[in-house]
Amino acid sequence: MTDDKTTVDPRRIVELATFYVGEALCGMDILKVQEINKLMQMTKVPQAPDYVVGILNLRGQIVTVIDLGLKLGLGATDLTQDPRNIIVNSAGAHVGLLVRQISDVVSADMDRRELAPANMRGIQGEYFTGVYKTDNNLIGILNVDKVLSLED
Amino acid sequence: MDIEDDEILQGFIEESLEHLADIENDLLTIEEGGSNIDEDLVNKVFRAAHSIKGGAGFMGLTTIQELSHAAENVLGMIRSKKLIPTPEIINVLLIASDQLQSMIEDVHNSNEVDISAHLLPLNSIADGSFSQVTQEASTTEVKTKTKQIAGKSDPPPAIEIELPVEKAKPLAAKPKPKPEPEPEPEIEPELVSLSLQEDDEGDDNDESGSYAGTTPPIQRNGRSDSSSDKNKQSGHPGKAETTLRVHVSLLDSLMNLAGELVLSRNQLLQTIGSDDLRNAEAVGQRIDLITSELQEAIMLTRMQPIGNVFSKFPRVVRDLSKKLNKNIDLTIVGKDVELDKTIIEAINDPLTHLVRNSVDHGIEKPADRKKTGKSDIGLIILKAYHEAGQVVIEISDDGKGLDGESLATSAISKGLLTAEQAQAMSDKEKINLIFLPGFSTAKEVTDVSGRGVGMDVVKTNLDQLGGTVDIISEKGSGTTISIKLPLTLAIIPCQIIETGGERYAIPQVNLEELLRIPASQVQNRVERVGDAEVVRLRGTLLPLIRLSDVIGIERTYFDHSAEEIKPDRREQTADRRGKESPLFRNPNEPEKKSSQKGESLNRSVLDRRYSASSALNIVVVSTGSMKYGLIVDRLQDSEEIVIKPLGRHLQQCKGYAGATIMGDGRIALILDVSNLARMARLNSIDGSDRAAEVAKAAEDARRAHKDRQSLLIFKSSETEHFAVPLNQVERIEKIKRSDIEDLGGKRVMKYRGGSLSLICIDDLAMVNPLANHENLLVIVFNIAKRAIGLLAIGPIDAIEISAEIDDTTLNQPGILGSIIIDQHTTMLVNVYEMAQTLFPQWFAEREKPVFEAEPESDPPTILIAEDSKFFRNQVKGYMTEVGYNVIEAEDGVEALNKLHEYGDLIAMLVTDIEMPNMNGFDLTQRIRKDDKYSKLPIIALTTLASAEDMAKGQAAGVNEYHIKLDKERLMVSVHDYMKRRF
Repeated sequence: MTDDKTTVDPRRIVELATFYVGEALCGMDILKVQEINKLMQMTKVPQAPDYVVGILNLRGQIVTVIDLGLKLGLGATDLTQDPRNIIVNSAGAHVGLLVRQISDVVSADMDRRELAPANMRGIQGEYFTGVYKTDNNLIGILNVDKVLSLED
Repeated sequence: MDIEDDEILQGFIEESLEHLADIENDLLTIEEGGSNIDEDLVNKVFRAAHSIKGGAGFMGLTTIQELSHAAENVLGMIRSKKLIPTPEIINVLLIASDQLQSMIEDVHNSNEVDISAHLLPLNSIADGSFSQVTQEASTTEVKTKTKQIAGKSDPPPAIEIELPVEKAKPLAAKPKPKPEPEPEPEIEPELVSLSLQEDDEGDDNDESGSYAGTTPPIQRNGRSDSSSDKNKQSGHPGKAETTLRVHVSLLDSLMNLAGELVLSRNQLLQTIGSDDLRNAEAVGQRIDLITSELQEAIMLTRMQPIGNVFSKFPRVVRDLSKKLNKNIDLTIVGKDVELDKTIIEAINDPLTHLVRNSVDHGIEKPADRKKTGKSDIGLIILKAYHEAGQVVIEISDDGKGLDGESLATSAISKGLLTAEQAQAMSDKEKINLIFLPGFSTAKEVTDVSGRGVGMDVVKTNLDQLGGTVDIISEKGSGTTISIKLPLTLAIIPCQIIETGGERYAIPQVNLEELLRIPASQVQNRVERVGDAEVVRLRGTLLPLIRLSDVIGIERTYFDHSAEEIKPDRREQTADRRGKESPLFRNPNEPEKKSSQKGESLNRSVLDRRYSASSALNIVVVSTGSMKYGLIVDRLQDSEEIVIKPLGRHLQQCKGYAGATIMGDGRIALILDVSNLARMARLNSIDGSDRAAEVAKAAEDARRAHKDRQSLLIFKSSETEHFAVPLNQVERIEKIKRSDIEDLGGKRVMKYRGGSLSLICIDDLAMVNPLANHENLLVIVFNIAKRAIGLLAIGPIDAIEISAEIDDTTLNQPGILGSIIIDQHTTMLVNVYEMAQTLFPQWFAEREKPVFEAEPESDPPTILIAEDSKFFRNQVKGYMTEVGYNVIEAEDGVEALNKLHEYGDLIAMLVTDIEMPNMNGFDLTQRIRKDDKYSKLPIIALTTLASAEDMAKGQAAGVNEYHIKLDKERLMVSVHDYMKRRF
């Protein structure tokens, strides 16, 4: 157990929305997720970073869609295999995260969260806040704000 | 100090700032009036000061109260005409109002501010002891102090939290050390006595605090209403405004529109439910209408008069000109012009800079002005007006103007420019140098301008607003800087274009024109100079950028017949297989070219280089002083679009200003044309200029390569220009109209003992008749062994030119074709044809070709090698006219191939000298080497028969030399050789 927080969080159980990026099962706090869409018609943005798939019109808002696979260094997500687009609100703007497949919503006890390894199935450990073990899976909990930061 | 009710305090601050903004301008007006006191105005200022005082007393803001009270006293004296408002007095009042403003802006700390330096002069004015001498001293003191206080009273927000703790301390314990000596103690009693006097005026100033429980709020309301119309928003654009005053009527109409929108929505929902298409259409139209109206109304709420910004300039100019010892009048025109509030806010700093510049650098010192004969009062005009959907702001001064030369010299010395670049620049470009980063025109750095914030920042700021700035300056008589701004930033009209299957929007402010170059002209108008492509547009060269290249996508084109987008494999826009700029031709590649020629014979209609889809669509855009053409696949409509920002992951893409959502729900990116130019490494100074230079070099090189024509140019009527080949001309005579005799329907004149037949061009060609001049020219030709005179008028000139001859557009009897000489379309006269038509009998006895005598034999075949289509057709015409068969070749290589192909059939070769791939000399040498053709007669045609060329030709094996278009001699010679053949 690695949780060394001194304050008592009343809500230790967090619902994780889980999804596959490449072969890796990742999760994020479901409250971060605004909605999950199928792939919509996108506009390519020439000269954008390669992980930006394009921009789309989400009810009048312009949303940048990021291929999470490319961003995390797992190779491009196959657009023909019906990927899903997770719309999250990060740093005041909506961003779409393209993932290979959506999986279950898992109730996770944050006290049972473990430190992220340096590397998880090829993903840099720094993108995770920790990992969570379920009966038959290992969920990497993504630090979405870190993934979407522009520092790298 | 306990301020319990934040809302009331906020109300006080807003109202007071409003009053202060008014006070400033009103004081300036009072100053202008001098002894001629406008009582209403003074009353207004007095009331403003009074209500600030009242409010401050109520709030417990003692320092503000004290200062406003002192100011009110002085104003009271002006009102009662006990005091004449001199500039010095106004100055003290202005500085006091500045201090009030800074205290009110930081109201929590106001009680700790030391205002003694303001009270002193104010009180001394009030008690009459204020003299010129003390004024000078105290003004400067106050000025420095104001700055310090302003600095202190502008704490970071974090401090505010700690304030209540500090406030608990007694006021007497002033925490901040004061650099100035404490005010003399005798001031205090004086203040009291003054305020007692003040009571006589009927306003219970000192007691206002105790009555405050009821009266001040009422006063406030009344006052703010009266002043709000004139001054909707006080001009403090440095801070972001959080509230905005909107006229109630506008709000009402917004409300109405919103109501209508709700109704329409209900209708729409109903219609959708009932599947009634026709009704849906009507509802759609209704919603369309309401939306547009709503948009307009909402835009209106954002519109603010530019007077909000302008109003602070009288003070700026006044203070600055005083400091610099200049006399300057500021005239403001067009205060009511309205602009979007974001623009109003953003325009403030650039405008201030420009106005300060005008005062500091533009207007000369009074002494200098007198020397140049100007009035010693300088004039600055600040003007705003609407023009073509944009707002133009002009700042003009009648100062010394900008000196392009010294700007250029200065730029060179700063290493911003090379001397060569400077030389090639126009005056306007030199003046635009002040926009270069790191450029300051002031000889010395003053604290007014030259603080490193230069014109380049002004320009950058304006660029960000989508505005442009332009300078017109005449040395010695003034400078006008005009700024063009869009009315609003939120919704902008854009031209929609398409490239690579995606749509993009180009803001219409950047749009100059749309240009479509038909496929047939692309070759002529698009040229490659250096590594850039340029297009000829009305005599100037416009640099071209291909959008797909700049943003790094695959080049495509839109195929209109197939209605689809196809990849484009051409490397150069101008690549139509054939034209190259000779300057850049690779001499090692002649073979490739010839193979292309062969291929070009079986061009199919499907070859898209000749179809409509190969036309170029160019959007001519301008940003600031730079103008360029953007090549796109397709042009679409122009639309009003709403700008939406791009996410932060796309901030690195500099080519886009944002994105917008199109009618079909898809997104189009908005192009930032100035950044695109930067990405394409096009820069304003060398972009177009260098292109022009290189193009000129290329043109010269090409001319040197091509046939040169010697032409005699003349006129027949005043308006039309004509030319004849110079070498056909025997001589030119000047005659009087009276010399011409009209005999037997023919015009003749006496000439060298005989009579010379005279013709006019309009005898045969459909041109304007000969001008009715007394002095005429006769150009004498020798045709069919007779002299013939062509009547003409001057001016005449002999030129050498290598322009293309257009043999289709103006072709008609007597006219061979046309050629552009010095921008005039000049018609090339076919004298031979004219003579033949007008005097057919001359040609009757002409020698018949030999083969006519022996009808059984086939007519001989002559091979003509000539690269110019015009001359080839001419020569071919001469030959076929008399019955010869003709085979044509476009260059030496082709001629040689044809010769081998047809062998003995060819009886003679007539060749041009200057031809691509293989010239006439080489061709002749190659032919002579082959024994089979050693006897083949070869006639060389040239435009300029120099002795050197003739010798060279003879050495190569040319039998005879003739001048192009000298049909007479050529044909005689051809007949001659053919006769020998039989």
